[in-house]
Amino acid sequence: MINLRDKGAEIWEKANRPQRVIMAICFIAMAASLPFMGGTILNTPIADYESVLVFPVAMFVLMAIGLNIVIGKSGLLDLGYVAFFAIGAYTMGLLGTRTSLNTWEILPIGIAMAMFSGIILGVPALKLRGDYLAIITLGFGEIVRIVALNLGTLGRSEGILGIPTPPPVFGIEFTFDSHRIYYWTLLIIILLAIWMVRRLSVRRAGRAWESIRQDEDAAELMGVPTFKYKVWAFVLGASVGGAAGVFYASKTLFIAPDNFTLQISILILACVVFGGMGNIWGVIAGAVILGYLPDRIRFLSDARLLVFGLVLVIMMNLRPDGLLPRKKREKALPSKEKS
Amino acid sequence: MKKLRLTSVAAAAALAFTSLVAYAPASNAKAKVVTLAFQGPLTGEEAQVGQDELAGMLYAVKLFNAKNKGKYKVKVVRADDQGDPAQAAKVAPGIASNNKVIGLVGAAYSGATIASLPYYKQRLLPMVSPSATRVSITDPGAEGGALGLPVFHRVVVTDKVQGPSLFKLATKGVSSPKVFIVDDQSAYGVGLVDYMKPSIPAGQGVGFDSVSDKTTDWSATIAKIKTAAANVVIYTGYFPQAAVFFKQLRDSGYTGILAGGDGVLSPNFVTLAPASVLEGVRLTAGTVPLAEIDAKLEADFKKKMKKASGVYAAESIDAANVFLSCIAKGVTTRQAMLPCVKSYKGKSLTGANLSFDANGDVAGGAMNGFEVKSGAIKFTGPIK
Amino acid sequence: MIGNFLDQFWSLTFGGLSLGFIYILIALGYTMVYGVLRMINFANSEVFMVATFATIIIVRDVYKFTQTSEYATGFQLWLILGTALLASMAVAGILSVLIELIAYRRLRRMNSGVLAPLISAIGVSMVLAETMRILTDSRPVASPRAMEKKFIGKFFDADIRLDNTIIIVAAIILLLLLLTFVNKTRLGKAIRAVSMNPNASKLMGINIDGVVSITFLVGGLMTGAAGFFYVLKYENSSFSIGFELGIAAFTAAILGGIGNIKGAFYGGLSLGLLETYASFFLGTQWKAVTVFTILVVVLYTKPNGLFGEALTQTRA
Repeated sequence: MINLRDKGAEIWEKANRPQRVIMAICFIAMAASLPFMGGTILNTPIADYESVLVFPVAMFVLMAIGLNIVIGKSGLLDLGYVAFFAIGAYTMGLLGTRTSLNTWEILPIGIAMAMFSGIILGVPALKLRGDYLAIITLGFGEIVRIVALNLGTLGRSEGILGIPTPPPVFGIEFTFDSHRIYYWTLLIIILLAIWMVRRLSVRRAGRAWESIRQDEDAAELMGVPTFKYKVWAFVLGASVGGAAGVFYASKTLFIAPDNFTLQISILILACVVFGGMGNIWGVIAGAVILGYLPDRIRFLSDARLLVFGLVLVIMMNLRPDGLLPRKKREKALPSKEKS
Repeated sequence: MKKLRLTSVAAAAALAFTSLVAYAPASNAKAKVVTLAFQGPLTGEEAQVGQDELAGMLYAVKLFNAKNKGKYKVKVVRADDQGDPAQAAKVAPGIASNNKVIGLVGAAYSGATIASLPYYKQRLLPMVSPSATRVSITDPGAEGGALGLPVFHRVVVTDKVQGPSLFKLATKGVSSPKVFIVDDQSAYGVGLVDYMKPSIPAGQGVGFDSVSDKTTDWSATIAKIKTAAANVVIYTGYFPQAAVFFKQLRDSGYTGILAGGDGVLSPNFVTLAPASVLEGVRLTAGTVPLAEIDAKLEADFKKKMKKASGVYAAESIDAANVFLSCIAKGVTTRQAMLPCVKSYKGKSLTGANLSFDANGDVAGGAMNGFEVKSGAIKFTGPIK
Repeated sequence: MIGNFLDQFWSLTFGGLSLGFIYILIALGYTMVYGVLRMINFANSEVFMVATFATIIIVRDVYKFTQTSEYATGFQLWLILGTALLASMAVAGILSVLIELIAYRRLRRMNSGVLAPLISAIGVSMVLAETMRILTDSRPVASPRAMEKKFIGKFFDADIRLDNTIIIVAAIILLLLLLTFVNKTRLGKAIRAVSMNPNASKLMGINIDGVVSITFLVGGLMTGAAGFFYVLKYENSSFSIGFELGIAAFTAAILGGIGNIKGAFYGGLSLGLLETYASFFLGTQWKAVTVFTILVVVLYTKPNGLFGEALTQTRA
């Protein structure tokens, strides 16, 4: 099977700096022009194309980038990622309706809340490994939803209504139906997240995560403070989820516990693995496809989720390392898991 | 106990249909295609409610298309929101900006309705929901008037009307009621309990429990009911869980009264537990199941839709009929549809008058009582 | 509160126990596969869901029971229960083996790690759940009552019911059979060998693919039995029951220590009882929170689950 990722990397590495800048700009311009493609074959039947670009596509991309830090970079299986998304969204919901703070002011608070809960969950849970971590995180995701479902201040099953949209920036208005504006703003947030991840992965933290993923015991023996870096990965992943949540709540104006089910965690995980764990371009491709596909195939009516499931099975079997897998030399993945 | 007078219903229905024909403009040879939409959960875990409602709507459309052959052909767009507000928020703008769609039956769930409303309000797409019961959508006390104004209407009674009625029916004829109330943690179930609470006389509410609609084992709730020595148990949720819960409660030796709201009023409910277990279960609803309106109606439904009618069947048909009778009057644009729905005066399936008040709620909103008798849901008269 | 709890203690315990045994059997579907492949067999929950329909079809369509028919007694009753149990087990066993063939085998041969099969399994779950949803018109389906839920005795203040008793006794028999199979037969030994060291087993001439298929078959049989007991106790099913129960059973497997049969047993029982007691004390809405909190505490103090042996050591 051809490795598209390696082909891409080859082209990228051959290019010099100005060429790279041009390529990057072309790529961003392409992404930014997506909202104008509504009239083409990309259009989604029934659901609104531009809304689909905001949620799920761009939101999934952002969350998948966040989850990729946890799962792809450091190899920790997190099945409760939706918790951080929910915490961000509820922070926005509560503060947005009860205080005069606006979205941009709440954004750092939401991120901090998500990071804080990342520590609360991470410190006990990261002492465990592998699949045990999976069930603990899964449980955490459910706990957050159940707490939201039962606490009066969080609106219980009725949720929180009337969440304000972000205030204008440079004269650009955010109204509930200006999907393009939201999409472009999300694109900027996504680029920031990509930048953050790329900076980190070439530094100490990146190397530490890599060594944890390859062999945790060996890393520990070599003096890598594995626990600290695992918590770090977890907290960073949480921060991206929290940011996504704040922005999401500010877009939909209304949140309820039904928005934050386990299914979201599973879908985001699927995006990461489907696209190519550990490789940010793969993850983005996976999130775009899995976010977009269910709405593109709405013409199938009742059978669309069935077809979606089939696509998952077939694609995973054809490309087990994902659409755009990580570089070959990085791929010595969980050898210890396989014995 | 009063019986519905079937003949009057049939007469009303016949009248409605003849008037439809009379109002229809002189037709060309080619039928005019008109598009309506349905929004509700059609796939995923919540699909049951949406699929049942969609069947009701399609049934009404089928009758209409057959009646108006050559004049109108109504098509239905299926907007699947999986009962999830997040999904609704991307489906709604699509439906709203689809100018062919001139009316929407739905959304089925209140959460999805609230998430969709901004888009429908912006594009003035009239909605008639068969099952979104949350009070706040039409509550004029909200800032700037009711949330759903001007597009939202519903043919189902709200939690505010149903809550107290359900309590009244459940405790009817019980000298010293000790009521235990269980909700299903959904917005529907919790809302119903919230509006029921003020109508509970002091000392009569002996316990509450809130049980996820995914629960299969009810031992703990049953133990609580026994501890509280309740003689009336009210479940606010949907029929699948109600059947399982009532079954386990009865099997544990409970002999008191069982009651539920319109989420339980589905012909499927009685197929889910032995007749002996469900005997005497009391139910409320703003409408009447098809089989109780007329056995022939249910038989026809079954023949045309290839399945028995389900939960909120009559409401879905009523909701579709609001639009259909407007279409029959020659309304084929969204601009004309909204005033037509607002001023709609017609008959519901049960033969009662159907119109909307200024906030979009169904006017009058009488509650009917039902009882399960030898494996069938029987009408026992309005609750006063 | 405590007084009330003591009053209801035995009723709660019986309810929790029979729920626990259903958890145990589903948990075995996870734990057997995990023991051999170190992989979460995510589709097991939907195998369970499909199995419940097998029982319903036997009772409703083969033996033509309705909600108003007379209860079966004596030999006829045992015949019905027996056929339904076998049908459910067979359906689930075969389905499990097929899922392994279609969704996991290729990935396993390619040494793709643990996540690719997990996503493939999620895809399979969606396909199974949505197929059943379309086949059932999205509606719940009841299994007409064939067996009277009669009280057969009293234990302190609690009534002992026939269905609960059958579940507990039959599940114990199945577990004993499973233990004998794994510990005493050649095939069982092969499964244990592969579980400990696949490469060495291969060198010793064990057919790994065959052993994996057998493992899925056995896990499926147990899950199928759970489907039967579920319908016997709750008498209905729906396309959407798999997910929630699957998560619960998986939690049970982890709680006890995933990868070994004893762990599934203790984990299932503890979870069944824990859920029931917690629902009574704290309100049913806090059940899941209590369960997961206790799970965190357990795993924090005993990282391999309550009764799990250290997997890392046997993994080699």
